[in-house]
Amino acid sequence: MKQRSKSKSILFKVVVYSVCLLLAILSVLPFWVMFVNATRDTYQIQQTALSLIPSTHLMDNIKILLGKTFDPMKGLTNSMIVSVSSTLLTIYFSALTAYALVAYNWKLRSPFFTFILAVMMIPAQVSVIGFYQFMYKIGMTNNFLALILPSVAAPAAVFFMRQFMLASLPLELIEASRIDGASEFYTFNKIVLPIMKPAMATQAIFTFVSSWNSLFLPLVLLTDNDKYTMPIMVSLLRGDIYKTEYGAVYLGLALTVLPLFIAYFLLSRYIIEGVALGGVKG
Amino acid sequence: MRKLISLLLVVLMVFSLAACGSSNNDTTTTAAAETNVTEATTSSGSTEKTVLNVWSFTEEVPGMITKYLETHPDFAAKYEIKTTVIATTDGAYQPALDQALASGGADAPDLFTAEAAFVLKYTQGDASQYAAPYKDLGIDVDNAIKAADIAQYTIDIGTNPNGDVVGLGYQATGGAFIYRRSIAKDTWGTDDPAEIAKIIGPGWDKFYSAAADLKAKGYGIVSGDGDIWHAVENSSDTPWVVDGKLNIDPKREAFLDLSMKLKENDYHNDTQDWQDAWFADMKDAGAKKIFGYFGPAWMINYVIAGNSGDTFGDWAVCEPPIGFFWGGTWVLGSASSDNKDAVGELINWITLDTTEQGLQYMWANGTLNGEGGTKDAVASGTVMSMSNGELEFLGGQNMFDVFIPANQFANGKNLTQYDETINTYWRDQVRAYTSGSKSREDAIKDFKQMVADNLDIEVE
Amino acid sequence: MKQKRNVSYAKYGYIFSLPFIIVFAIFSLYPIIYTGVIGFTDYKGLGTTTWHFLDEPFKNFVTILNNGSFRQALKNTFIIWTLNFIPQILMALLLTAWFTSRRNKVRGKGFFKVLFYMPNIITAASIAILFYALFSYPVGPVNSLLMQFGIIDKPVYFLVSKANARAIVAFIQFWMWYGYTMLILTSGVMGINPEIYEAAEIDGTSGIQTFFYITLPNLKTILLYVLITSMIGGLNMFDIPKLFMQGGPDNSTLTTSVFIYNQAFSGSYLYNRAAAASMIMFVIIAIFSGILFYVMRDKSEIEIKKEAKRAKKERMRLLEEQEAAQ
Repeated sequence: MKQRSKSKSILFKVVVYSVCLLLAILSVLPFWVMFVNATRDTYQIQQTALSLIPSTHLMDNIKILLGKTFDPMKGLTNSMIVSVSSTLLTIYFSALTAYALVAYNWKLRSPFFTFILAVMMIPAQVSVIGFYQFMYKIGMTNNFLALILPSVAAPAAVFFMRQFMLASLPLELIEASRIDGASEFYTFNKIVLPIMKPAMATQAIFTFVSSWNSLFLPLVLLTDNDKYTMPIMVSLLRGDIYKTEYGAVYLGLALTVLPLFIAYFLLSRYIIEGVALGGVKG
Repeated sequence: MRKLISLLLVVLMVFSLAACGSSNNDTTTTAAAETNVTEATTSSGSTEKTVLNVWSFTEEVPGMITKYLETHPDFAAKYEIKTTVIATTDGAYQPALDQALASGGADAPDLFTAEAAFVLKYTQGDASQYAAPYKDLGIDVDNAIKAADIAQYTIDIGTNPNGDVVGLGYQATGGAFIYRRSIAKDTWGTDDPAEIAKIIGPGWDKFYSAAADLKAKGYGIVSGDGDIWHAVENSSDTPWVVDGKLNIDPKREAFLDLSMKLKENDYHNDTQDWQDAWFADMKDAGAKKIFGYFGPAWMINYVIAGNSGDTFGDWAVCEPPIGFFWGGTWVLGSASSDNKDAVGELINWITLDTTEQGLQYMWANGTLNGEGGTKDAVASGTVMSMSNGELEFLGGQNMFDVFIPANQFANGKNLTQYDETINTYWRDQVRAYTSGSKSREDAIKDFKQMVADNLDIEVE
Repeated sequence: MKQKRNVSYAKYGYIFSLPFIIVFAIFSLYPIIYTGVIGFTDYKGLGTTTWHFLDEPFKNFVTILNNGSFRQALKNTFIIWTLNFIPQILMALLLTAWFTSRRNKVRGKGFFKVLFYMPNIITAASIAILFYALFSYPVGPVNSLLMQFGIIDKPVYFLVSKANARAIVAFIQFWMWYGYTMLILTSGVMGINPEIYEAAEIDGTSGIQTFFYITLPNLKTILLYVLITSMIGGLNMFDIPKLFMQGGPDNSTLTTSVFIYNQAFSGSYLYNRAAAASMIMFVIIAIFSGILFYVMRDKSEIEIKKEAKRAKKERMRLLEEQEAAQ
């Protein structure tokens, strides 16, 4: 009996680890190719786009990259400003809105929730026309606020936070806080937010990544060289269609991904450890 | 801290609400825009420089203008250049440019550039009202064009519906056939460009009999069907759209058969342009050695030379079986610019100046950024004839000997602003046909269907 | 405790959603309404500044519904979506079950979790280029690999085949998003009160039982989120189909979003038709979401109400006690 369950558990482990290993390789491969290509020259990349062995042209690519009007520090700074602000606004205000949807019983609550869901369903491609015509009208082009402010209203994030709160926010805690005489705002900031940590970390990663990688809207709204974000700069590198420097493009891409890596690994702690549990138990 | 942030946000929102309220009225918007202009001039009053906005999709033209400022201190003292470069790769250049042109104001472009694939929109199509005629920029166009010997196709493309020239280029993109000397010698016993031109052309029949000769020796004549497409496209007598209706020119329809013939007879390596395998064929790394490529001068210097590997120096260039052009950048001035003279001065220097101080002379000789730069064919025949187009890559051949006449065979009258989109559909269907997945009739039928579904064009 | 005891908290619902509502009204509602309106107009072409409402208001909608490419796009969208949605959800659930299993602790699960989300970090443009290169013809890594193992004897032109192109797009979508889905699901599981599991362990339930009878039911709200957002995201799929093959070969990877984009931003700039197509997609997605909501029957609403009632009772009881004490 014991023997059987032991062999079963070994089989389970073999299956789990082989699947995980395969998926892990698939995950790492594109990054590896990207970093390898950042060390190869245009010629080598055009012969075979994929190689697993690094080459020796990293310095040349850096030179080409810096020789153009490519200013990685400026791009990083701009991208940071936009992405960090967007992320902070999204997670804080989504949590706040979700809290309003879960903790309070107000008349327009369910119409409002239905509305948020409906909004998520509209294909994004076309409302873009209206959005940037509007931004041009009110003179918000070349202004980071045009990219940052809209992130206060992130329907998908609100939806997620709401679902998470429904599952894991004990309303007793709020009651207790009220009895202690805490204001509603205080209760939200000091009691609800800590419980929401894993949900917020998850959403923070998603928001940060999508804001960081966002290309089309910034490309149209930011036309001033000094305001360019990293993806715009990389897209410019690719833009010279007759004589693209592929090595430098990959280096640019690699530089773009690097800060994402850092942000991701910093936040991943929350995902792995499940800090969630503290709040609920207390 | 958090309260502070939210307070800040509320203030911002109120502010933007107010801004949005006022913009509902069109007159207020223009008034606001005008205030911006005066602000710009007063704020620049301390340096006393006027700002010229330059919009482009690569850094090529902004780089030229920087050079102009360096060499013309008088101009540099008066004007300051603000460049906006947006790549075409992600499809954002045109929407952003259109928006900037349409909304006007201080940030509106004074000078902008357009690529062959979409230039028609700005010279003859939906956005042609934004381009200023060169004569309004203080350029004596007609005489200057004659003096510079500008190729007719460039002028045709750059002429607006009123008959005024609004855009010209600095490059010449008339095409030639770029081939391997050693393969020519092995097959026909000669690598002389004049002889080879007679073997591979004129006309597709001779080209295909040359392909048969090459096949007998184990060579392919071109790398993929994309190589002959530009020649086919540009040789047609009529454009894709005539009087708002889709029109399939017989010469373009014949691409189906030409492409199939290459495939069936195994005359090529069946590669797709701009993909790995296509580049690999430039240095004999493909399934079989490839004889040559169709292309303008930029194709030699920017594409093949860098990819040629051991074949460097084993190339030559000759007249193509069919005349064509491929690519190029046109420079346009904005009709709403307040600084037309300055814009005209820049445009004249870039597109029409034939002196040794003009841009084109430096461009042709590769001396814009010092000796030894990349040589390229330029729009002015006059400039090319006084320049040295000898290239080591071509075994010392002077490429201008071929490219000056090549420009005369290119056709600028069979284009529409929809070409980029329609060409994609057409080549997609041709590929489906040659791969054997659908019949010739179905390919044409599906092509028509796609045009009808996606564009505002009538289809019979 | 000087404040009035029987205070109504409803107003905080409004106050706390106010920032969202204001920002949304300014930055999203206007563009969306704009889109809705131009679906009924003749607004098309570049540089057009004036437009008029059509005499037959639904002309654009009729044109789109009769448009062969739009129908094809709709078909493609459903095929590709089904091909990636089902495996994606199943794989994510499976990984979630493994990684949150309290019985069989998977070593290095944190490491795997972090890795699996990584494909989502790179921009879609790079991924499209990468996969295009992988499957390139006549020379390419996949081709040379298959030839080396003798599976094929001459190069296959993968990307000219409709079925292959769709399958590859579906695979890319799966590969980019299963990690995301898994992260959301695991964060949902971590939000479940551990006491429930502890109780289950004492009762001696097996790992599989725990997953189906404890994890899944408690994950319902998050699962609903995942299903709804994956569905919406999948049916609005744009980046990969657009960047990978531009909707080709032969329209086989043309999705409705790519179709809408092409209508609006290329060729004839048919904003009105694009807007009509967007609205049609909106209706389709709304119907599907409605079905999903019905199937999942969001009992959370009811639970909240129950909870609120209970809490109110509790409050009353406490008040009474306090008053009694006084």
